[in-house]
Amino acid sequence: MRERKKSSAVEVSSVKKKKEKKTKDNNEPREQKEKEESQSIMKQQKNTTSRSKKEKQRKATEDYQSLRESELSGDEVHGTDHDVDNADDHHEEDQTDGSEGHRGVEESDSSEDEVAPRNTIGDVPLEWYKDEKHIGYDISGKKITKKERQDKLASFLANVDDSKSWRKIYDEYNDEEVELTKEEIRLVQRLLKGKAPHTDFDQYADYVDWFKYDDALHPLSNAPEPKRRFIPSKWESKKVVQYVRAIRKGLIKFDEPKEEEPKFYLLWGDDSSAAEKANHLAYIPAPKPKLPGHEESYNPSLEYIPTQEELNSYQLMYEEDRPKFIPRRFTSLRSVPAYENAVKDSFERCMDLYLCPRVRKKRVNIDPETLKPKLPSRKDLKPYPVACYLEYKGHKGAVVSISTEASGQWFASGSTDGTVRIWEVESGRCLRVLEIGEAIQYVAWNPLPELPVLAVSAGQDVLILNTGLGNEEEQRRVKDLLHVETPTAPDVLDLGLVEDHLLKNLLLALMFTLDGVFGRMASQGRLPLHVFHPTRSIFFVSTKKNIRVYDLLKQRLIKKLETGLKEVSSIAIHPAGDNLIVGSREGKLCWFDMDLSSKPYRVLKCHPKDITNVAFHRSYPLFASCSDDCTAYVFHGMVYSDLNQNPLIVPLEILRGHTSSNGRGVMDCKFHPRQPWLFTAGADSVIRLYCH
Amino acid sequence: MPKHYRPAGKKKEGNAAKYITRSQALKQLQVNTKLFRKLCIYKGVFPREPKKKFRGNHQTYYHLKDVSFIRHDPILEDLRAKSAYRKKIIKAKAKRNKELADILKNRQPEIKLDRLVRERYPHFIDALRDLDDPLTLVHLFAALPGSDRLKIEVKRVHNCRKLSHEWQAYISRTHKLRKVFISVKGVYYQAEVEGQKITWLTPHGMQQVLPDDDVVYDVLLSFLEFYETLLAFVNFKLYHSINVKYPPILDPQLEASAAELYALARYFDANSRPSEKVEATQEEESELRLAQLQHQLPSNEPGALMQLVKDAADENEEDEDTKECKNLFKNMRFFLSREVPRESMLFVIPAFGGTVSWEGEGAPFSETDQSITHQIVDRPTQGHVYLSREYVQPQWVYDCVNTRIILPTEAYMVGRVPPPHLSPFVDNEEEGYVPDYAETIKRLKSAAKNEILPMPGMGKENLDDPQNLLAEGYISRAEAIEAAERKQKMMTLEKQYHDELKMELDGFKYSSSVSDATKQKSDEDMETGEEPLPDVQQISTADMSKLLMSRKKRGLYEAMKKGQERKKAHVDLLKQRKKKIEAAEKFKKN
Repeated sequence: MRERKKSSAVEVSSVKKKKEKKTKDNNEPREQKEKEESQSIMKQQKNTTSRSKKEKQRKATEDYQSLRESELSGDEVHGTDHDVDNADDHHEEDQTDGSEGHRGVEESDSSEDEVAPRNTIGDVPLEWYKDEKHIGYDISGKKITKKERQDKLASFLANVDDSKSWRKIYDEYNDEEVELTKEEIRLVQRLLKGKAPHTDFDQYADYVDWFKYDDALHPLSNAPEPKRRFIPSKWESKKVVQYVRAIRKGLIKFDEPKEEEPKFYLLWGDDSSAAEKANHLAYIPAPKPKLPGHEESYNPSLEYIPTQEELNSYQLMYEEDRPKFIPRRFTSLRSVPAYENAVKDSFERCMDLYLCPRVRKKRVNIDPETLKPKLPSRKDLKPYPVACYLEYKGHKGAVVSISTEASGQWFASGSTDGTVRIWEVESGRCLRVLEIGEAIQYVAWNPLPELPVLAVSAGQDVLILNTGLGNEEEQRRVKDLLHVETPTAPDVLDLGLVEDHLLKNLLLALMFTLDGVFGRMASQGRLPLHVFHPTRSIFFVSTKKNIRVYDLLKQRLIKKLETGLKEVSSIAIHPAGDNLIVGSREGKLCWFDMDLSSKPYRVLKCHPKDITNVAFHRSYPLFASCSDDCTAYVFHGMVYSDLNQNPLIVPLEILRGHTSSNGRGVMDCKFHPRQPWLFTAGADSVIRLYCH
Repeated sequence: MPKHYRPAGKKKEGNAAKYITRSQALKQLQVNTKLFRKLCIYKGVFPREPKKKFRGNHQTYYHLKDVSFIRHDPILEDLRAKSAYRKKIIKAKAKRNKELADILKNRQPEIKLDRLVRERYPHFIDALRDLDDPLTLVHLFAALPGSDRLKIEVKRVHNCRKLSHEWQAYISRTHKLRKVFISVKGVYYQAEVEGQKITWLTPHGMQQVLPDDDVVYDVLLSFLEFYETLLAFVNFKLYHSINVKYPPILDPQLEASAAELYALARYFDANSRPSEKVEATQEEESELRLAQLQHQLPSNEPGALMQLVKDAADENEEDEDTKECKNLFKNMRFFLSREVPRESMLFVIPAFGGTVSWEGEGAPFSETDQSITHQIVDRPTQGHVYLSREYVQPQWVYDCVNTRIILPTEAYMVGRVPPPHLSPFVDNEEEGYVPDYAETIKRLKSAAKNEILPMPGMGKENLDDPQNLLAEGYISRAEAIEAAERKQKMMTLEKQYHDELKMELDGFKYSSSVSDATKQKSDEDMETGEEPLPDVQQISTADMSKLLMSRKKRGLYEAMKKGQERKKAHVDLLKQRKKKIEAAEKFKKN
């Protein structure tokens, strides 16, 4: 014990240097004190079991007290720092510690917090309550009265009788006796033996070398501390001396503002050197803000101020559409207020400057009229159909197809009412009405003038009709011809089978015109459209989007024309044979020049609705398109014999007059074979003739 | 294989290789958005529009070169160092090491932007070309109240004020101001410096509002920082070009009484005094010089002769426009009442050769001065009236400046509603609508020209010139040449005017003859009966030729037509409103 005391004293004295450590170190001896206390208790118990518990307790405290005093007197550590109060503190601390110890024994690990002490006086010396009737206060603030002190003799006798009395300890703080449990006793006993308090703690466990591992090359350094760690640095002292000298001499000055260079100078002194080319991208200057107009004036003319109605109408607009600036008028300069959006406007400008992508854009500043292509005057391109000259009325249904006779004296028309009518062109007289009985799809005259025969396609059949025109000899020939029964379907028309030479000619001729029959059918989505080359044995077939060109002699594909249209609705070939026009369902008209390329030479978007038919004039440089929008366009389409010159296309005229019925407008258009006249067949059952 | 898949090892091509998005740029530069914004503003880097937006339309694209341009700039390191330094200060403060914090604060590294200015504007003319926005922003900040919360330092506001005044002083001194326009948003000024038209906006001199929402002041302040530097260097160069020291040292007394512009003007006078000694006859400046002599302001004495030569050269270099501006308010003395916007007037009137004083401390002459020709008043009634001077509203000055003639003052008298103030930036002919007052001004202008043409102007000049010649041998030659030139110009103008008159007369005749001819024609047409048809055709032909246009051209054509229609609609609206107003007036009269 003595040694321990000493060691604690040494420790305390060593602690003197560092104040912070002190408290921590003070805890250490306290633990020891606890130990000592319990030890002394046990000893006394062993030695004098007959002694009363109370006496024991007193002795223990006395013992502790003496120990404490000896410690205090032993060294002067506390002399200065701890005065009498402090000593008292210690004393009471000890007491509380003692109680702590008891409680600690009661419930092994638990701290003071879990079970609050009955007494709530706190850390005050118990001496204060020595002469009082109560020992303190409970949580609710009521006094806790002292228990009746038992007669010493009676208590001694009770202790003698009670076999467990040696286990009991008096708790001064709470004024009660506490009985130690078996486990606690055991714990105390182990401590007395100098063992670890808990049985499960292995005092002599194997040492684990945490710093050692298998791959370690070197052991941890065992070198002694070098000398330089203990002696002051020579270099440093030299440096300090240097500084001191410099300061004395005035070489080092403190807090003196630096000599400032002039902040601004002639930045663009010599522009010549700036000519070197920067290797970064070209700078695109930001567009300058728009200069203010009259309406932004503080005093604009009255007409710039919007009226009240207009202001109201602004409120109805979408916020984006509203004018950003509403002109105001002030009668004098003094009444103009500060502009409320000044900061916001410049902020927006700044945002534009650093966040808007900049692109150099070429702005054309030209008269829009100059964009239009230069076209020859239409006067020079006369004659062409201009105005409606005649109307042929008589059909009861939509006129689907018309065909002119080669001489140009008559023309035939077929209608959905099941009749074919033959008209005289000049007078408008209906010469003949032929009842077919079925809706007509297509009519075609024989292109040879000497045989006035008409082919009609209706339903499943193709009929070849004698028109009854011409002189008697012609009539006779026609009758001779038509004596032979013709096959019904044009597909199986076998020219070789036909014996008669004349008929063969006729059928050949019909073949050229009958293509229209297929055309009709194709428009209903059955057969492809096709035309024959007027002079050579070339054959044009249209698929939905493209046009394939076949050589009939060699029997192979020559070319494929890409229209770029959605759906081809009609085609026509120029009488010279090198140019082709194609009408489409979306109202576009393509002009193909076979010599140029497989792409259209020109695409004209003229009709808003489907193009129903396109036609070339046989001799005049004219072509026309008709559409469901009830109009027909007439174009000038000049093809030059000089191959270097591209065809000239000039839109000439829009011919109106038909009315729409059932969503269909003009169904067919045909040129007069000799004159620059155009026939149009309307869905409104009228045929019109447009003349120049 | 997906369409966007690029085989490993194959390099990026096209737009994807040239452009990167904003977030990619941030990652590459290892900066946060704030710093990136600052860098972009300082370096003048802006997003670009790739032909194909490979990451979608909503992204902002930067050119890779622009980004690497930022990356290689030392300013990036400087800004990083600055933020690191700021952290040091914060740390010191957090540790309550006030001493260290103060030391650190005082030694903060300063970021210099002069190199960037030079880099962005390698030539002075480039800087002038881009000066609109800097001037507007600096003038705006000069009018803003300082605010700690928004980090608008009072020091900076003062610096902005200083810079704007320096700029105005230069413009005013060299008579480079061309147009002024008072709008609701503020006062627009247009000056022409080295052939560049520079337009800027100054707010009305009222307490400005600082909106809190939808304005990020950091952006504005970053811009301002660069603009301040730029403008200071531009001012230095401009001052250097007229041999005045920069930065100017101002009379503290005048500065205190908020007449900095006047102080600057005096500074100019003091600095270029030697040249003025020669031109001693200029009466309007004698007063100023008197004041100057009293105050004994510093001046550049050495090299007086050189300066003289230079000034003479300058005189010759001055274009006709400048001369016209310089002499507009010659021999006129203005006095400003209290309520008149003084700063603007002090700027504008001297810029056009007038002399100006005001009510208050430090004014060159007082209200009682008999030589005052015009007093500018903006109040409903004027109490005491001097008969020797004219009382006009401030708008008169601005209108005179814009029209370049001295307008009659009747319409601008005190208490009247002045005639409409028209924008000088609008080309009325192009706009398609000419307001009434523009017509009146045009007439007045031509009348003024007419007046000058025959006798008085020329005679006066001719009389004046010999006197000058006698008085000052130095610049006789220049003056003589000038006079000759002026004479020639007058002659040509006269001739032109006469020609125009003739043309106009002829034109009337011509137009009438044309109308006659058309009438005859129409008569003929009526006879033949074919007239109406071709007319209709004419309309349709316009559409017809549209058929043959390519799609691109047709689109362009239609867009242009739309624009024209919009313009026309606007003009029509104006005309309609005017008609209504006139009708209402007539109704009132009746």
